[in-house]
Amino acid sequence: MISQRVNYFANYFKIAALNIKSNISGNAFAFLIMSFSFFIMLFLLLCYINIYSYMSTFRKSNVMLVFLKNNAKKDNVLNFIGKLNGVKSTVYYSDKSSMKFLEKRVKHLKSILKNMNPDNLPAFIKINFKDNAVSGIFLSNIYLRLKSLKGVKLVYYNKMLQNRIVQFMFFTKVVGLILFLFLFILSIFISYSAIKLVILRKQGEIEILRLIGATNNYIRIPMFIEGEIGTVLSFLVSILLLFAIYKIFIFYKFDSFLEFFRIKIIFLNPQQIAVVFLIAIISGIAGTYLSSKKFF
Amino acid sequence: MIEFSHVYKNYDKNYILRDLNFTVNKGEFIFITGPSGAGKTTTLKMLIALESPSHGAVKFLGTELQGLKPRDIPFLRRKIGFVFQDFKLLPNRTVFQNVALGLEVSGIFGDVIIKNVSEILKAVELYTKKDEFPLSLSGGEQQRVAIARALVQNPQVLLADEPTGNLDEETSRIIIDIIKSFNNKGTTVMLATHDKNLIKMGRARVIDITKS
Repeated sequence: MISQRVNYFANYFKIAALNIKSNISGNAFAFLIMSFSFFIMLFLLLCYINIYSYMSTFRKSNVMLVFLKNNAKKDNVLNFIGKLNGVKSTVYYSDKSSMKFLEKRVKHLKSILKNMNPDNLPAFIKINFKDNAVSGIFLSNIYLRLKSLKGVKLVYYNKMLQNRIVQFMFFTKVVGLILFLFLFILSIFISYSAIKLVILRKQGEIEILRLIGATNNYIRIPMFIEGEIGTVLSFLVSILLLFAIYKIFIFYKFDSFLEFFRIKIIFLNPQQIAVVFLIAIISGIAGTYLSSKKFF
Repeated sequence: MIEFSHVYKNYDKNYILRDLNFTVNKGEFIFITGPSGAGKTTTLKMLIALESPSHGAVKFLGTELQGLKPRDIPFLRRKIGFVFQDFKLLPNRTVFQNVALGLEVSGIFGDVIIKNVSEILKAVELYTKKDEFPLSLSGGEQQRVAIARALVQNPQVLLADEPTGNLDEETSRIIIDIIKSFNNKGTTVMLATHDKNLIKMGRARVIDITKS
């Protein structure tokens, strides 16, 4: 019984191989488009994972930086800050001490800072808030009040950037999901078309097989195998291509450049690859099922 | 073994068969004859559940075929070998592979296939051409391949629809002799033809469906 099942499956693979061979151009075309869609899917996931990872490097901060205009009266601003609730401490940095601040904080930019004129740097006030006083609403309220103050050029705080990234993440999530869904449907459609083409080309053969006693499974299973072979190969090619691009551009060309911005690009982990692989497999099965359903 | 009782077949108002009644016993050889369009092919197709009667009943081994579930139809067809006028061979498969197909669909593989296919190809005198493709064979040879494919499953019944329709008289005689030889071994044969010479050659019971 088991050996008969093994023989059945061996025969299904043989028929699938014959089908692929007989429709080599159609399969090659489907393979190329599927590889492309899986590549885009994986690329989107890679982008999302990296943005997420970059965002997680931002720690929750209680610090706000208030950059002053040239010749602005710092005392007015400092007095205003002093009246605010929740402020732990304030430190004023003149344009000269701004340079020292930068040299201390961004050591990896030393070569650039060396050629910089300190007069071009703005004076700023660093505000440290009390832990219990920090909330998104509280900081954004203070941010708006400080921004409208005379002599203030720019107000910056980490939470603001964090909020913007969250917004950006939401946007990428929505766009990514729509693109993902579109590519998923596209890959189903490609599998569907490739198998439908096989069915149309082999309609005569299918008819003969049915007349001599072939079951629907005998005819359909090789089609599923054919669809899955195409899907798996397309997926392998796309993941290898993405990995090769990652290796070439990230490690050998842009490694130091991205390091400059404290960005460390990471590749997809096995679980993430497995999820996309599963999606690819499902698209292959769905495409074959839909195309063959019509004929049986 | 086979029973047609009060079988009618119509497409809209056009009746192909009217009150067709006959039985075929095990091991019998019968000719179904009638002019073109009389319903010979329809009659044979009813036996493999490719057509169903509009009224009446068709029974095979006591089972009424109209009541057959779609999933059971392939198993019925494995018990019945069918030979077509246009051979219906797969052009991209060799003679051996075409004949082996009859066994593969039944789940038979390996040495059994090699043994059975070789035997049947020897019986139809085509063993030497086992690796050739159908299109390189003559019409008579292609029909012998089709017969071999129909008989390799060792079916209880062989249905042949105008098997010599495209062949000359000499080749037709060879085909009839081959079919007769399998009938002599116990296979029931139903052969549809309008060729009177073939019926003379066969010397068997004739069912003329013109009268139905």
